[in-house]
Amino acid sequence: MKTSFLSENLGKKIALVNHAVSSRSQLPVLLNFLLVSKKGKLFISATDLEIGIEVSISANVEEEGGVTVPAKTFFDLLTNIPKGKITLHTEDQKLILKSEKIRTVFQTIPQEEFPKIYEEKGEKRAVVERKTIEKDFAKVVFAASQDSGRPALSGVLMKKEEGRGGGFVLVATDGYRLSLKRGVGGGVSSASKEDQLVMPARIIRELVSVREGESVEIFVSDESNQILFFQDETVLAVRLIEAEFPSYEKIIPTDFSTRVVVGKNEIQSAVKACSVFAREAASIIKFSVGKDKLVVSASAPSLGESTIDVDAVVEGEENEIAFNSRYLLDFFSNIEEEEVIFEMTGPLNPGVFKIKGDDTFLHIIMPIRVQE
Amino acid sequence: MVKDNQELWTIILGEIETEVSKAIFLTLFKQTSLLSFEEGVATIAAPSTMIIDLLQKRFYQIIKKAVDKHTEIDAKIIFVPKNVMPNNNPEKNGPLFQEAGKPTVTIGHLPRVKKDYTFQTLAVSSSNQLAYVSAQTVSRKIGIAYNPLFIYGPVGVGKTHLMQAIANDVYENDEGKKIVYITSEEFTNEVVEAIRTNDTARMKKKFRSVDVLIIDDIQFVAGKERVQEELFHTFNILIDGESQIILSSDRPPSEIKKLEKRLSSRFAGGLTVDIEPPDFELRTAILLIKAKKYNFNLTIEAAKQIAEKEHDTRGLEGALLRIITQSQTLGVEISSSLIKNVLSNGEHREIGNYRPDELIKNICSFYKIKPTQIKGEKRDAFLVKARQIAMYLLKKELDLSYVEIGNILGGRDHTTIMYGVNKIEGLLLKKGFSEEIQMITSLNQE
Repeated sequence: MKTSFLSENLGKKIALVNHAVSSRSQLPVLLNFLLVSKKGKLFISATDLEIGIEVSISANVEEEGGVTVPAKTFFDLLTNIPKGKITLHTEDQKLILKSEKIRTVFQTIPQEEFPKIYEEKGEKRAVVERKTIEKDFAKVVFAASQDSGRPALSGVLMKKEEGRGGGFVLVATDGYRLSLKRGVGGGVSSASKEDQLVMPARIIRELVSVREGESVEIFVSDESNQILFFQDETVLAVRLIEAEFPSYEKIIPTDFSTRVVVGKNEIQSAVKACSVFAREAASIIKFSVGKDKLVVSASAPSLGESTIDVDAVVEGEENEIAFNSRYLLDFFSNIEEEEVIFEMTGPLNPGVFKIKGDDTFLHIIMPIRVQE
Repeated sequence: MVKDNQELWTIILGEIETEVSKAIFLTLFKQTSLLSFEEGVATIAAPSTMIIDLLQKRFYQIIKKAVDKHTEIDAKIIFVPKNVMPNNNPEKNGPLFQEAGKPTVTIGHLPRVKKDYTFQTLAVSSSNQLAYVSAQTVSRKIGIAYNPLFIYGPVGVGKTHLMQAIANDVYENDEGKKIVYITSEEFTNEVVEAIRTNDTARMKKKFRSVDVLIIDDIQFVAGKERVQEELFHTFNILIDGESQIILSSDRPPSEIKKLEKRLSSRFAGGLTVDIEPPDFELRTAILLIKAKKYNFNLTIEAAKQIAEKEHDTRGLEGALLRIITQSQTLGVEISSSLIKNVLSNGEHREIGNYRPDELIKNICSFYKIKPTQIKGEKRDAFLVKARQIAMYLLKKELDLSYVEIGNILGGRDHTTIMYGVNKIEGLLLKKGFSEEIQMITSLNQE
């Protein structure tokens, strides 16, 4: 192969592909990028056999072809060389990279050994706008479990909803908290018979982190049980999770005895400040709901304690509940809106967080039972 | 040839493993399985399209060769993406979802009660039948049948199991019942804490509003006057309100020393039943039940052999676990010689556990000091000497590690112990000193 391109075009794209490179595979080819030059483009892809990412940039292709190179070295080199024109060509099983002043030689592995990231696109299920991904997907995906040993909990459920203008409902939970967003990508028609799928949270995190482009097309291939996200010149591919998603509807509280409306920034900084003490005491943050305020407190026997009053509009009875500070901070840092609503029924029942003026979103956190 | 798909695939994988590198086998083949084999078509599941692509491109021939060989036909291989992970368990979905199924199981509704301690999992024989039957009666007619129910017997006969079985049974029949299971030590702590924080009202409310109060090892309230007083009032209120009280102890109420008369008479006011140590048949039955719990196939012969050696139930479970572990690590079947071997090791260890205190006692009586002094901080010359002799003897006689000795002697650093042992070794060369040591060791042998 022989091709040349501008290194500035590669920019963040190569960092994205780098996320799909296997961190410690015993199979050498999985530690490599696949570089393919074809039809005026340079394609770079990587996979760890679980997810696969492919990006492409426009290039001046003199000779089509492909080869794989050690990803880490290639990535480190490209992020460290000056901007400008770069030429790649293969020569006796080696890849030569040249720019104005640089000449680098990479060991390669033939492209035939590299697995195909996807076979066929499958059926188009939805087109989601970029800002929906960043606003709505981001509000849900953080609640998913990082533990792939529990497949369903490490995924995000995307389910078509009747009524409500079409859209999807997105749900993620790790068993201690749950995030749910309705009416996502409203107006999208999907001709599919399958009305729900579970996508690995990992790929959604990558998708959120792309942070550019206009919209994302979602394809599902029943044949290969894969879901593909196409955005401009980027493709993310992953196998769908087959495990059954826990029945989340049942655990959404329908009622509350205390309802608090509070400024997000105020409560977030109160929790942050108290978590200094909570760090030393099992991360326990206590909420005490008074008549017109919410008292956030934490105490560590060896250090002391901290109590912060947050002005709030309170309806219903006075109440107390305790949460893990990490779950609270995760929630606050993933929403942008200014006012949040907190609803609870008692110290042992899950607390519900909502965004004021948005009845399509909710977040549930399991309380910590504290010794009285 | 009819073979189970899984079995067939294991054999085929075994063959493939020898043909490809270990890295390839682990990354590509390990997670595959044979879904079906029909009409000459083998359908193989692999977790992702990428893996399938590699298998197809590079290993089709190897796979086909192995499949052909073992099925004896010219097979066709197709791959499908499917994860063959074990089914996910709904219980693993986390507390948020457990809550959903049973809304009344607020976390800790039955704190400290083991789910598997039920009437069904309790082995019954003549030694515990009376207790078993009365416990069942009590759980069916709480507050009415026998109140209080007082169960006593030596350690490891199943008192706790029986009491928790009552808790589980009551709970199963009526989730609304408020059940508190607590040990007398925890009860004591609650009382102390309430007095300390000057908030006895809350504690009173907690214990006096229950439907079933179960206190384990009640004998430990002996000598604690304030706790006994609290218990007395709680007791009266609960009995009056027809709430059930269940108590256990290692001896009958009348024999608990330093227990107020008014309490011991009240304890004996309902039904007092004893559990005798399990007889041989019961011990055998217990072993078989426990083995089943660990999914282990234990023969009756082996169970009998263990039951002969071990007498209390906790010892039985421990012995069983040691035998299972041993047979799994060695990869051998359970045989009578293996059981003998494991159990005799156990005996040796128990002696080791028991002797350090005895040894220290002897040293103390020899030098006329108290064990607390030898473990204490004071550094008077005669104490230091006795302490160092203790270090020396614990090392030489019992072969404990320096760290263990340090812990026994009041949490001393292991270097202190090393120094002490060396010091005595040096002194032994002096005349008269070794005689002194010998006199102490002869005390130990008595």
